[in-house]
Amino acid sequence: MFTVIQGLDMNKPQAKPKTRHSPVRQFLRHPLWAPLNQRSGWDRLATSLNPLWSLMEARARVLKIVDEAPGVKSIWLKPNARFKGFRPGQHVLLELEINGARHSRCFSFSNALGKDGLIRITIKQKTDGPVSGAAHALQIGQIVRLSQAQGEFAPRSNDSQLLLLSAGSGVTPMMSLLQAMVNENSTRDVVIVHCGRTDADVVFANELQTLATQSSNIRVYLHTTETNGHVDADLISQLVPDWNERETLLCGPDGFMQTIEKMYADAGRSQFLQSESFGRRAAPIDPDAAEHMITRGDTEQVFTVQAGQNLLDGAEAAGLQPKFGCRRGICRTCQCLKRSGTVTNVLTGQISGPGEELIQLCISTPNSALDIVL
Amino acid sequence: MMFKTRLEGEALAGFEAELDALRLEVLNDIGERDAKHIRKMRHIVQASAIVGRGSLMFGFGPISWVAGVIGLSLAKILENMEVGHNVMHGQYDWMNDPSLNSQTYEWDIVCDGDHWRHSHNVEHHNHTNVLGMDHDFGYGMLRLTESQKWTPSTLLQPFWYLLLAMNFQWGVAVHDIKIGRFVKGRMKYAEFRERLQPFLKKAGLQLFKDYVLFPALAFWQWPRVLLGNLVANLIRNLWTNAIIFCGHFTEDVQTYTRKEVEDETRGQWYLRQIQGSSNLEGSRWFHLLTGHLSHQIEHHLFPDLPAPRYADIAPRVQEICARYNVNYNTGGFWKQYAGVIIRIFKHALPTRRRLVQASQT
Repeated sequence: MFTVIQGLDMNKPQAKPKTRHSPVRQFLRHPLWAPLNQRSGWDRLATSLNPLWSLMEARARVLKIVDEAPGVKSIWLKPNARFKGFRPGQHVLLELEINGARHSRCFSFSNALGKDGLIRITIKQKTDGPVSGAAHALQIGQIVRLSQAQGEFAPRSNDSQLLLLSAGSGVTPMMSLLQAMVNENSTRDVVIVHCGRTDADVVFANELQTLATQSSNIRVYLHTTETNGHVDADLISQLVPDWNERETLLCGPDGFMQTIEKMYADAGRSQFLQSESFGRRAAPIDPDAAEHMITRGDTEQVFTVQAGQNLLDGAEAAGLQPKFGCRRGICRTCQCLKRSGTVTNVLTGQISGPGEELIQLCISTPNSALDIVL
Repeated sequence: MMFKTRLEGEALAGFEAELDALRLEVLNDIGERDAKHIRKMRHIVQASAIVGRGSLMFGFGPISWVAGVIGLSLAKILENMEVGHNVMHGQYDWMNDPSLNSQTYEWDIVCDGDHWRHSHNVEHHNHTNVLGMDHDFGYGMLRLTESQKWTPSTLLQPFWYLLLAMNFQWGVAVHDIKIGRFVKGRMKYAEFRERLQPFLKKAGLQLFKDYVLFPALAFWQWPRVLLGNLVANLIRNLWTNAIIFCGHFTEDVQTYTRKEVEDETRGQWYLRQIQGSSNLEGSRWFHLLTGHLSHQIEHHLFPDLPAPRYADIAPRVQEICARYNVNYNTGGFWKQYAGVIIRIFKHALPTRRRLVQASQT
């Protein structure tokens, strides 16, 4: 059950093997010396003096906000010393407080790390995304929480020719990769095909052209779908005749990614294609489905729960033994972390959001497939 | 003695629906205000602990000693009642703040957090005032209703009560070990030892902190720190005990038998929570110092709503109770506490043991 908290602790996104600390450190961190050695207490003191002086959390101050395209903003952040930097193509969990509750979502870095240590993330406002909405409402000077950088979205080989395919705000990791190549004076041959609905919607059009003028190895094709139609296999092979000799990185909306993935699968080149997408695997919500698949977090065990059956009964029927107490929603013994999917709270009739949150198994019925940490 | 109200059919359904609606209304309004409140409380706890311990360790003379004791008592009372108890109920889990998570929070008292989560959140809140199931009813040492067994030692229960009140944190700490069951041979030694382990660990850490670490850090001033910590713990014990006893053992609080709660619906459960609890009236600071357990009735109806909300909804709960003719037990601290003391004395004397009579209204 305690993995629940590890899942929530943003600085430890993956369960790490226990590291052995030095005897001195073990001695100093021993619970006997509490509260003198309690980091949370010192952290509260330090952050009340200056919110960036956190001893435990990576935090950052908003330095600059730039409008990139309609509904797309870049946010420049100055992280504190807890943030350990990032590699091009990686992403970060941005945690914002919305009406008192912490919410976090993944966003790719859209710059390469320079000497100033600044971070840029570029965010498209979504109608159903509370975090993107709150990110767009950020003001200069505000403090946000960050996770450490995560992800491995980058070319696998050091010298292969590259093809970058992006649409909309999917260009963000590409910007990071290209910027890093220019900074390193890389001689690698890169083509980027990037599209948006209209000219105004092509995020980073100017910046991409600037990069192309800085390096003769970078070719940029910008494409507007409203006037020139959707990107498809024909267009790619027309623009980049040698596409099937290039290692390819892909990021964009669902439909776009499916088109390209099918193109590569048909050509038998799926192993040269890497995709990056956040929240694409969100299960369709269907409260009327007869049963729902429940994935148990890290164990990758799957069981099913009948519609209308609460998760505690369902898990027990599947032979699992989750902790439980009152079975009427008051004691929270059976509380666990839901990573994705939506549930109905049978006490209140409220339907949850699709993201990470704590749910009580005994009063939650599934509305979609779920990923929970049991 | 008040009669126990029972509702049936449409009245019961209406009563349940009104309380459900009230809960939903508050849930939909939870947000920034509640987050700010709990953070502010935590800051006050930290600040008063620093000031209190500081003036005990480095102060001179009796005035700074008294100030130190007051600061530390305030820190312990607020931390246990307004922060710890409420956080461990899950009142702030919606904030997604790992340091305010109900299942991992650990508080400044000798009672282990997991033990508390079980004996309090699961047993007491679920089986409130059901004799034989709610072990908080009399804490296994006090006879508070005629249907509990009388033994000669019950005659001394005012004295037992005084001992419990003075050492209340220890009473709470050993509660979930279920020593009684072990003594009566209904628990194996292996299980008993396993249950004892978390208690010994937590109690050891707390004793070390208050009676070794902080006194030692004050060098030659250690006696005043040791004594100050002892008095602060005593004040916290007496206060929390008085508040908690006022919540369930005042004169008109009802008890229930196992049979009565068989196949209980949520409406009936609400009804039992109301009639098994009693409120205290007072100022805002009084409510804070009780961790809003002064609104015991609202707390027992909705244990996971942020506690300051209880004060907001109390008039409406009272209004609903009035319409359904359910006794809403409330009064000032001294009136209610006098009721508790009377109850303790009254049931110290032998009376014929009889079952709780179910009465219709």
